[in-house]
Amino acid sequence: MEPANQFLIKEEKVYSGALSCRGCGWALLVRHLSSILGDETVYVVPASCFSIIAGPYPMNELRGTIVHTVFAAAPATATGVRASLDRQGKKDVTVAVLAGDGGTFDIGFQSLSGAATRGENILYICNNNGAYMNTGIQTSTATPYGAITTTNPSANYKKTWPKDLMGIIASHNIPYAATASLAFIEDFRNKVQKAKEVEGFRLLMIDGPCPPGHKSEPDQSITIARLAVETRLFPLFEVEHMNYRINYNPKEFVPVEECLKLQGRFRHLFKNGSKEILEEIQQHTNNYWERLRMLESNSN
Amino acid sequence: MSDIPEVKAKEMANNQTEKYPRHKLKVLKGNFAAAEAAKLCRAGFVPAYPITPQTTIVEQISEMVARGEMDATYINMDSEHSVFAAAKGAALAGERVFTATSGQGLFYAHEVLHAIAHFRLPVVICNVGRPSIPWNIWSDQSDSISQRDTGWVQFYGESSQEVLDSIIQGYVIAEELDVPVMIVLDAFYQSHTSENVFIPDIDLVDEFLPPKKKKGGEIEVDNPKSFGGLVPPEHYEKFNLSYWQDITKVEDLTNKIGKEFGKKFGREYSAIEAVNIGPETKMILVTLASITTTARGVIKNHPEVGLLKLRLFKPFPKKSVLNVLKNVNEECIIINIDRNFTGDSEGAIMQEMKRALYGKSFKMYDVYAGLGGKDVPPSTIEKIIHKGFKNPEEVMWIDFE
Repeated sequence: MEPANQFLIKEEKVYSGALSCRGCGWALLVRHLSSILGDETVYVVPASCFSIIAGPYPMNELRGTIVHTVFAAAPATATGVRASLDRQGKKDVTVAVLAGDGGTFDIGFQSLSGAATRGENILYICNNNGAYMNTGIQTSTATPYGAITTTNPSANYKKTWPKDLMGIIASHNIPYAATASLAFIEDFRNKVQKAKEVEGFRLLMIDGPCPPGHKSEPDQSITIARLAVETRLFPLFEVEHMNYRINYNPKEFVPVEECLKLQGRFRHLFKNGSKEILEEIQQHTNNYWERLRMLESNSN
Repeated sequence: MSDIPEVKAKEMANNQTEKYPRHKLKVLKGNFAAAEAAKLCRAGFVPAYPITPQTTIVEQISEMVARGEMDATYINMDSEHSVFAAAKGAALAGERVFTATSGQGLFYAHEVLHAIAHFRLPVVICNVGRPSIPWNIWSDQSDSISQRDTGWVQFYGESSQEVLDSIIQGYVIAEELDVPVMIVLDAFYQSHTSENVFIPDIDLVDEFLPPKKKKGGEIEVDNPKSFGGLVPPEHYEKFNLSYWQDITKVEDLTNKIGKEFGKKFGREYSAIEAVNIGPETKMILVTLASITTTARGVIKNHPEVGLLKLRLFKPFPKKSVLNVLKNVNEECIIINIDRNFTGDSEGAIMQEMKRALYGKSFKMYDVYAGLGGKDVPPSTIEKIIHKGFKNPEEVMWIDFE
């Protein structure tokens, strides 16, 4: 019997020679995504790592249309593209935003909220690698507690919790929002497929491996992504019109350290005297999981 | 009633005009004339965000769309930045796009104005001029003037009629050269002031401005392309060169389209307008927008004073200006009336006029007048003329006595 996850990509929609770093999540994400969305897709890309990965002028990494746009307003540009395609009778064409966490949590937040509230028929993909990686690892409001970045160096490591973007976007009562991991590729593909078919504003939050930013080994990207789910640092769940469903219940308890210790950005947490910080992260992670379970049990 | 000739009475009764066939005469505020123009041009996408004193333009468009009088997708956006980003997306997909803004809204959209210009998108907007915070909502051209370097073509309308007519001509120019166009009108003096406006029938506009055609540079989902990716240094300049080649055609095209518009609609336009300028002219007032009308009246009492109205401001109509001044004695005084503040010693009109007249020996003076909506009545224009002849200074602030 063939392994279930072999040859998932039936037709490659990404050309060879992509510009992503070794072990980058974008490469795998876009290969799977584009294989499901197909050629007749318009990808709207704000400033992000993918602005570079998509290929410099006059190249195009994808068998699809790419519209590069300003950092703060990809959902707005997508709104205009959508409106125009609809007027041309091309309602079946998917308009997808491919953004990083800076373009989603920070500078593009208002535009995202606007498009979600208007119910624009757009599929929004956030590759969340937890910092401004393209500009050299600066802190975003998605940066995890305890992480070191170039703007939160050494003793000044990040001491605030990341914004709960999923909670905020779910509260917009959109038809579909989900988290997904490249270590759970079938779940990821199912969610892309589902998101493609739903009409209205849809958002997928992908845990984005980033070896240069996370100070991890490229060959550990998938391992770390898997551990992020197993430790519940990055739970897999979906929200449909504010109804939550957890998609994966880790079978056993795995402490957050198991995931954090593979990333150099958390190295200082494993030195003497830092145990309390790790405990705090564990506690916050447990609380978030419990909250998710509560939201799930309160859902239809 | 008996004073009204029979023909005129009939004309008024059915709103038809003898003066301009295939037009209807309406009394409209400037903002409503702009909204009417967007409908006549069959703009298909209107992203909008409210800001005083632009608001009634987008309100009126949303009303016309809701009533089914205008076939457009109207979307209430979350900011002007998003408005222009949406305009960019829709224009890139081939839609004819219209929107309107003012002051802070235009400042906020600045980044996207550059993007629209450099993506070569023929978007047309109406800007109702007002200055920057500290809060002031009144007439001032500092907002649009500060967008001079974005690559947008700028027209300033003297009347509501001119605003309506310039929006129609603006689309023709924008779509021929693939450059965005901004039509500016003065806050309140125009935006909220009612005037007689001759509204052309939509089929007449259709003949002049046919439905938007795709040129092949738009989004075509069955022919995927990448738009706006990272451009390396060896290529970037080529885009600037091609922009330069087209933007330098705007002045001639404005005059050509203005003439054709005249043939079709009965009202002819050009990049600039010279009033009472000849070899004997001793002083020329240079104006934009509604101050022009006031100056028109005042110079009737001053046969030695001429008026140079700039309708096209960006790119600056240097050729037309030189042409008008070629027979004027260079002893003539030129007074630029600037209702804008650039943070520099001179206002924008003075800067541009000096640039255009480099090498000429005209005496050039600048007057700041009407900033933040301060009224510029005929008495102020009289004062400018008087001071200009008597004791001019290079840069003058008027009405502070």
